[in-house]
Amino acid sequence: MVKLWTAEQVAKKVMNEERMFILDVRNNDAFEDWKIEGKNITHLNVPYFELLDGINDIKEQLPENEEVLVVCAKEGSSKMVAEMLDEEGYTAYYLQGGMKSWSEHLEKVKVHEDENMKVYQFIRVGKGCLSYMVVSDGEALIVDPSRFIEKYEAAAKEENATITHIVDSHLHADHISGGKMLAEKTGASYYLMKSEGAIYDFLPLEDYQKIEFKNVSLEVLAVKTPGHTPGSVSFFVNQKLLFSGDTIFVSGLGRPDLGNKVREWAKDLYDTVYSKVSEIADDVVVLPGHYGDLDEEKSVHGYVGDLLGNIRKENEKMFHTTKEDFLDQVEKSASSVKPPNFEEIVAINRGHQSVDLEQMVELEIGPNRCAVHHTDE
Amino acid sequence: MKSDHVVDAKGLACPMPIVRAKKAINDIESGQVLEIHATDKGSKADIAAWAKSAGHEMLASTEENEVFKFWIKKA
Repeated sequence: MVKLWTAEQVAKKVMNEERMFILDVRNNDAFEDWKIEGKNITHLNVPYFELLDGINDIKEQLPENEEVLVVCAKEGSSKMVAEMLDEEGYTAYYLQGGMKSWSEHLEKVKVHEDENMKVYQFIRVGKGCLSYMVVSDGEALIVDPSRFIEKYEAAAKEENATITHIVDSHLHADHISGGKMLAEKTGASYYLMKSEGAIYDFLPLEDYQKIEFKNVSLEVLAVKTPGHTPGSVSFFVNQKLLFSGDTIFVSGLGRPDLGNKVREWAKDLYDTVYSKVSEIADDVVVLPGHYGDLDEEKSVHGYVGDLLGNIRKENEKMFHTTKEDFLDQVEKSASSVKPPNFEEIVAINRGHQSVDLEQMVELEIGPNRCAVHHTDE
Repeated sequence: MKSDHVVDAKGLACPMPIVRAKKAINDIESGQVLEIHATDKGSKADIAAWAKSAGHEMLASTEENEVFKFWIKKA
């Protein structure tokens, strides 16, 4: 009987850097565009429609004594191919829900715990997006929630906490924010920069220097340039953790892509890095909004993040340079690559457009291009 | 467009549209045209890729009221 692995099981294997042999049976374009990535994964891409007469042609390329995970877009084809492998004596699994489920899975990892707060990171392994939960004394604050709001509700419930605050570090262009949905569902206060152009009700971050609840204080680090998009805010939590949004990544600084105001964006980034971040200690943990390469950016503790001191050291050039040089560097790194469907996703996140669940899935599915925000170092 | 055989794969999920199409194309002569109707969104890219990989010629494709139609000339 052919067996399945859930996206969660596969994500655990990716996180643990386990060996995996993946037979991806989607068409070549889809595979080239986007696949399950991991340090010790071997891929074979043969579209399912080339296997309808059997798997004889690919037997030589399959490992004999190893489990084979068959993957397709939604599940159907991978199940068919896994059954064929099974009949031929292979140990085959198919990915439940296919790449759609892979795109949606959130992996929860504990980042920090002290007497005042507990902090969890939610890694959207299939897309490279990160969100967070800060729990303190029965209350929870969510940072950059994805649209899978039930995951945060369940996580809060596990901690016997109520979600009372939600913040978005910026208006996302690569995924649909769950901020508004989660706020409506829970009644929590929802904060977003007014300059990002959203048209529904929220609390403008421009009006807050700090967000405080229970034993937690979130300092809002933002360069407030009215009418400027994209604007990314960082949150400095209890002088210990920095939710850096799109400003600082483990691999370096953010880079402008959307908005076409490269120089202005670079100036804001410079001011943030040199007037705000420069005052933050080396032993503060930076927790970004995205990552590019999980294996490279994952810490030994299993979450995506690093000490600010290490990031400074690795990116000497950017953290210790003249303003002119900094602006030139950032400008040079500007990218013309946009996340898939970014215009519609931005319109939805601003509240200009509303779509049904199926459309959300279609808009979000696809490659991890969150990494295009990173500077090339 | 004129066709020699029609496969109705509406409502069927992947991989069934191509399984049906492949079966049907085996039963027609080289040079004859197979018409396929499908509603699975993935079939749009997959049927084009399948026809190409099998050497058949995609003569035309349309999308109307969420129904995809393809005309494929057998190699």
